[in-house]
Amino acid sequence: MGMHENKISTVNKNHNPANATTPHVVTMIDAINMALHRAMESDPNVVVLGEDVATNGGVFRATVGLKERFGHKRVMDTPLAETLIAGISVGMAAQQLRPVAEIQFMGFIYATMEHIVSHAARLRNRTRGRLSCPMVLRAPYGGGIHAPEHHSESTEALFAHIPGIRVVIPSSPTRAYGLLLSAIEDPDPVIFLEPKRIYRMVKQEIYDDGIGLPLDTCYTLRQGEHITLISWGAMVHETLQAADLLQEQGISAEVIDVATISPLDIDTLVASVQKTRRCVIIQEAAKHCGVAAEICTSIQEQAFAELKAPIARVTGFDTPMPYLRRENIYMNSPQDIVTAALTTLEAL
Amino acid sequence: MKYFKLPDLGEGLQEAEIVEWHIKPGAAVTTGQIIVSVETAKAIVDIPAPQDGVIAARFGEAGDLVHTGEPLLEFQGEQQEDSGTVVGKMQAASDHSEREQFVIGSPYRPGPSVPLATPAIRALAKRLNVDLNKITGTGNHNMITSDDVEKAARLTKDLGEAETLKGVRRSMARNMAKAHAEVVKVTINDDVDIEHWAQKEDITLRLVRAIAIACTQEPNLNAWYDSSNETLRIIDKVDLGIAVDTPDGLFVPVLRNVSQRQPLDLREGMNTLRRDVKNRTIPPSEMTGATISLSNYGTIAGRYGNPIIVPPMVAILGAGKIYNNVVATETGFASHQFLPLSLSFDHRVITGGEAARFLKAVMDNLGMAD
Repeated sequence: MGMHENKISTVNKNHNPANATTPHVVTMIDAINMALHRAMESDPNVVVLGEDVATNGGVFRATVGLKERFGHKRVMDTPLAETLIAGISVGMAAQQLRPVAEIQFMGFIYATMEHIVSHAARLRNRTRGRLSCPMVLRAPYGGGIHAPEHHSESTEALFAHIPGIRVVIPSSPTRAYGLLLSAIEDPDPVIFLEPKRIYRMVKQEIYDDGIGLPLDTCYTLRQGEHITLISWGAMVHETLQAADLLQEQGISAEVIDVATISPLDIDTLVASVQKTRRCVIIQEAAKHCGVAAEICTSIQEQAFAELKAPIARVTGFDTPMPYLRRENIYMNSPQDIVTAALTTLEAL
Repeated sequence: MKYFKLPDLGEGLQEAEIVEWHIKPGAAVTTGQIIVSVETAKAIVDIPAPQDGVIAARFGEAGDLVHTGEPLLEFQGEQQEDSGTVVGKMQAASDHSEREQFVIGSPYRPGPSVPLATPAIRALAKRLNVDLNKITGTGNHNMITSDDVEKAARLTKDLGEAETLKGVRRSMARNMAKAHAEVVKVTINDDVDIEHWAQKEDITLRLVRAIAIACTQEPNLNAWYDSSNETLRIIDKVDLGIAVDTPDGLFVPVLRNVSQRQPLDLREGMNTLRRDVKNRTIPPSEMTGATISLSNYGTIAGRYGNPIIVPPMVAILGAGKIYNNVVATETGFASHQFLPLSLSFDHRVITGGEAARFLKAVMDNLGMAD
C-alpha cells in the first residue's frame, strides 16, 4: 500500500541537519523522535531497543524512521520481555554503548526493577567508578487517554527513591527535545518518563540544533508574586491553566516545572517560595509517599520560617488509577488547583 | 480519516468485487450513507460511509477486485496524523504553535525575603503587637526568637514605638551611609578675615560667589567622579547644591550656573529655592545635578565641620559661625571678624594641593571688600 512508508518520510524531513537553523513546529512525540534521530546521528554508540520500536515505529510513533535510517543493528525490536530489555541495556551500557530503551507503558516497567535498582543504579558505585551505566529507559506514563488497566499510572516516585539514577520528566515539546538529548549524553542511568497525555496536545517551534537542556534543574515557566505552583509532567498544563484562572482574580502565581524529580533542584523551589511565601504542589500520582511529599519536606526544611501557610498538595487518590469512565474524577483539574491555592492564600 | 479502506467483512474473507458505486467524486456524504456495494464470496454487502465528508476520489471501478485494507475512498481534507497507540485516545494539538518561554532554574537569588520566624513566634509577635520587620533576629540563621520579640515588646512599653524613617530622612540616611562608605574624604580648615566686609553683608551670597571664582581657578573640584567606571568629568558650569535644614530633614536644592549670574539674580534664586523647600513645593528636578555643594551651618552654630561629599560630586565647602578674634596690627591689637571654613574633597580624584589652592581662592575672594 505504501501509505505507512509515506508517513515515515514525512517525519523524516525533521531530521535533516541542514534544518537546524529553521524551527520545526512539532508536538512532544515529534520532538522525542527528533532528539532520537539527532542523538543517533551524532553518536554511533547510541542504540534503540524495545517492543515495536523498530519496524512499527513505536506504539506512539516515538521511534518512527529510526530503523530505516540507522538499520536494524542499532534499532532493535525485542520480545515482550521487559526484564530482558532492561538487562540487555545494563550490559550494553556497561560496555560503552548508550542504549535508549523503550518500555511501552509505565505499567509494564516493574519487571525492570531488578536491573534498575540492583545494577544500573549502582554500577558506578559498585565498581568504584570503573564502570558507569549511561542508559536511558524511556516510558510513556500517566493517565488521561482513556486506556485500560496498567496503562495510566504515575509511579515516578518509585524511581525517585533510588539513589544513583536520575528521573527526568518533560512537560513540553521543547523540554522533551532538550532533556532527552541531555539524558542520552548523561554518563549515568536516566529514567525518562514521557507524559503521554500531552504527546500530541501542544505544538511548539523547536530548532533541531542538537543542544540539550540541563538536567537536575527546575524550569520557571511563569513568574509571579503571590503563590508558587510546583508541578511536573502533564499536570504542568492544568497548573498553567490554574495560574490563568488565579490571574483573573488578581492573584499572580509562579509556575515551576520540576523537570528532574530526582535529584531535586531544591534551590530553585526554595528561592521561589522565599519570595511568594505560599506553595501548592500538584502531582497526578497518588498522594502517599509521592514526589510532592519530598518536595514539601525539602522546602519546609529551608523556608519554614518564611511560609505564610502550610504547603498544600493536589494529588491523585490513594487507589489504583481507575478505568476510563472514572478517570476524570481521579485526575486533578485546574479548578482543584485553584481551590487549593485559594485555601493557601486564606491562611494567615 | 483521509483514506477509507475496505473493512474486514467477516468470516475471514480477504477480498471483494466492486458491484456498484453509489457516490461520485465531489459528493458530500453523511455517516452511514451507503457508498458502495461489493460482492464477497458469500454475499453482496452494502458499505456505509464511516464519516461525514466530501469524496475526493474513488479507487477501483465496478468489477475490480479490492482486498481488505486497501483504500476504497479518499476524503477531502488534510492527511490525518498517524498517532499510533494500541490503546486509548490522544488529544491532538491545534495548529497553533509558538516558541516556549521559560527560565532555566530560578530567576531569583535564594535568600530570605522576610524576617525569619516560626509560626509560634509570629503568633507571639501578633499577641504582643510587635512588628517583626523592625526586629533583628538573634537565633540561628538570624531567626527571630521569643526573647527578641519579648525584648522588643518591653522596649516599646518603656520607651514608645521607634519611628521608621520615611521620605527625606530615609534618603538622607541612605545617601550619607553610601557616601561615607565610598568616598575617601579629607577636610581642611581655615579662617578668613572678613573685617573688610560691609555692615550687613549677605554671607551666603558671598560664599556662592567665592565658590564660583574658586571653581574657575581649580576646576577639578567642580566635577563628577563615577567610581564604578573610574571616569572623572570636569564640568564648566557651576551648579551649586545648597544644604537647607528643615524640620522634615536635609534638602539640597541646586542653584544653577552660579558663575554667570548677577548677585541680585542669585539672591532671588536662593530665596525662591528656600521658599519652595520650606513649602515643600520644590520639584525633584531642582534638587539633582549639583556639581559642588555648600553647607552654611554657621547661621546656627559650629565653627568647623566635617562635611560629607555626596557622589558623584567631589567637593563641599562648609561655612561656620563668624567669630571675633584679636589680631595684631601695626599699631597694636584689634578685634577682627573671622569666617571659619571647612573644605571636604574626595582624595581619590583631588590632590591636597588642588584642594588647598581652591580654599585659598575662596578665602582671597571672601577677604575682599565687596
